Amino acid sequence: MDNATSIAASAGRPTRISWQGLLPWLLPVGLIIVWQVAVGLGWVDSKLIPSPLAVVQDGITLWQSGELPKNISISLFRATAGFALGGSLGFVLGMANGLSKTMRALFDTSIQMLRNIPHLSLIPLVIILLGIGESAKISLVTIGVMFPVYINTYHGITSIDPELLEMGKAYGLSKRALLSKIIFPGALPTILVGIRYALGVMWTTLIVAETISSNSGIGYMATNAQEFMNMDTVLLCIVIYALLGKLSDLIAKALESVCLAWQQERSAA
Amino acid sequence: MPTPLVRFANIGKVYGDNVALHGVNFDLYAGEFIALVGMSGGGKSTILRLMAQLESPTSGTITYAEPGLVTRVMFQNDRLLPWMTTLENISFKSHDAAQQAKAQHALDAVGLHDFAQTYPNQLSGGQKQRLALARAMMADPQLLLLDEPLGALDALTRRNMQDFITQICAESHLTTLLITHDVDEAARMADRVIVVKAGTNVYEAAGAKGKSAEDVARVADEVLSVILAPEDRPTVNEEG
Repeated sequence: MDNATSIAASAGRPTRISWQGLLPWLLPVGLIIVWQVAVGLGWVDSKLIPSPLAVVQDGITLWQSGELPKNISISLFRATAGFALGGSLGFVLGMANGLSKTMRALFDTSIQMLRNIPHLSLIPLVIILLGIGESAKISLVTIGVMFPVYINTYHGITSIDPELLEMGKAYGLSKRALLSKIIFPGALPTILVGIRYALGVMWTTLIVAETISSNSGIGYMATNAQEFMNMDTVLLCIVIYALLGKLSDLIAKALESVCLAWQQERSAA
Repeated sequence: MPTPLVRFANIGKVYGDNVALHGVNFDLYAGEFIALVGMSGGGKSTILRLMAQLESPTSGTITYAEPGLVTRVMFQNDRLLPWMTTLENISFKSHDAAQQAKAQHALDAVGLHDFAQTYPNQLSGGQKQRLALARAMMADPQLLLLDEPLGALDALTRRNMQDFITQICAESHLTTLLITHDVDEAARMADRVIVVKAGTNVYEAAGAKGKSAEDVARVADEVLSVILAPEDRPTVNEEG
C-alpha cells in the first residue's frame, strides 16, 4: 500500500508543477481573450478600443517599416544610460555616506532635501536648461533612479550587524577585506531592492519625459498616435511598456538569484 | 614558575558611571584551560573583551608573553557570515591554495567535511558552533577565547560540544579562556575555575577536567556557593 501511495504521489507532482508554471499567465491571456471577444462581438467600439489582433497587426506594420525598432532602441538607450548614470551616482554616494561619517555629515542632509522634491516636477526646469535633446531625458532618468539606489545602499551599509563587523576585526580582516567580505555582501540584499525599485522609476520617468518633450521614443510614438486618434498604436505602446517593465523585473530577479543564492538555499532548506 | 601567557594586573574598566571591573588580577599560563564563571553583569565578558584587545582597560596593565599574540574569539552567537559557504566562512574566501587546504582540514577536524558547500542557515545549532570553532582554529591561535559559545544549544548538543571543545583544545595544547554561566560546564571543562563577581575575581578553584562526575559536582557546588554569597559592588567614586 505504501508503495502504491508513493507512486501516486510522485505521478501527480509533474502535473501540479506545470499548472503552477501556467498560473501567472492565466490572467493576462484570459484578459486578452475577453478583450478580443468583446471587440469581435461589438460590445466595445473598436475605434476607441481596437482588438488585440489589430494591435498586433499594427505592431507588425510598424516593425516592418522600421519605426518601431527605431523608437524602442532610442527609448532603451535613454533608459539604460540614465539608469547607469543614476544608479552609479546613487551607489557611490550611498557607499561613501554609509562608510564615512564625514561624508555623511557633508552630503546626507542635502541629499535628503533633494530627495523629497518629486523629480518629475523638474521637467520644466530641465527643458529650459537642457532643451528637449537626449541630455534632458537622460538627466531626468538619472535623477529619478539615483535616489532609490542611494537610499537603499546607504541603509544597507549602515544596517550591517555590528557583531559581524566586530568578528571581522577580531579575526584580523583589513578594512578592504571588511568591506568586500562583510559590509558589501551584507548590504547587497537591500541594494538590490533599491535597484529593482529604481528600474520601475526608470520607465515611469522616461515615459513622462518622452511624452512631454521628445521627437522620438515609445512615449513620443504614443503621444503622436494620440494626436491622430490612432488607438492601435497607443495600445501597442502601452503593451510595449508592460513588456519592457516585465523584462526589467526579470533582469532584477535574475540578478538577485545570482547574487543572493545563499538566501534561496535558506528557503530551500 | 613559568612566565604567564597573559597577566591581568590590577585591571579596572569603567563605562561612564558604571564600574565594570576593578582590581582584576590573574595569570593565564600556556596550555591552560581556565573558566570564568559568575552572574550576568559581573564583568566576565568585559575581561574577555579586554583580553581579545577589542577594548582597552581604564586602569591597570595587561601583559602578553609576546607581542602580536594570535588570539581568536568564539562568540556566544556564532557570527557566521550567511552569504558564505561553511568552507568560505573558515577561509574568508581566500584564493590562496594553502589557505583553502587548511580550511578544508579545519572543517574535517570538526566533522563537517560533508558540508563544505553548505550555507550556515542549513546547519543545526551544534554544527554552526562547530563551524565557528573551526574558524577560530584556522589561524592556529595561541589563545582561544570562548564567550559562552554553548549557551544557545540544547542539553545533549551542549554536552557533546563541551567534550568536543575540551578534546580539540587538549590535542592542540591550546591556551583557552571560557566564559560561562554554567558552573557544571566550567568544572567539567577547565583546569582552573575563577569566580568573577561584582567586577572582580573573588575566588579560584581547581577544575575537574577529565575527572569523575562526583568531582565535577563537588567543584560546581563549591563555585556556586561563592557566586550566590552576597556581593559588594563599588561605585565610580570608590574606584576613582
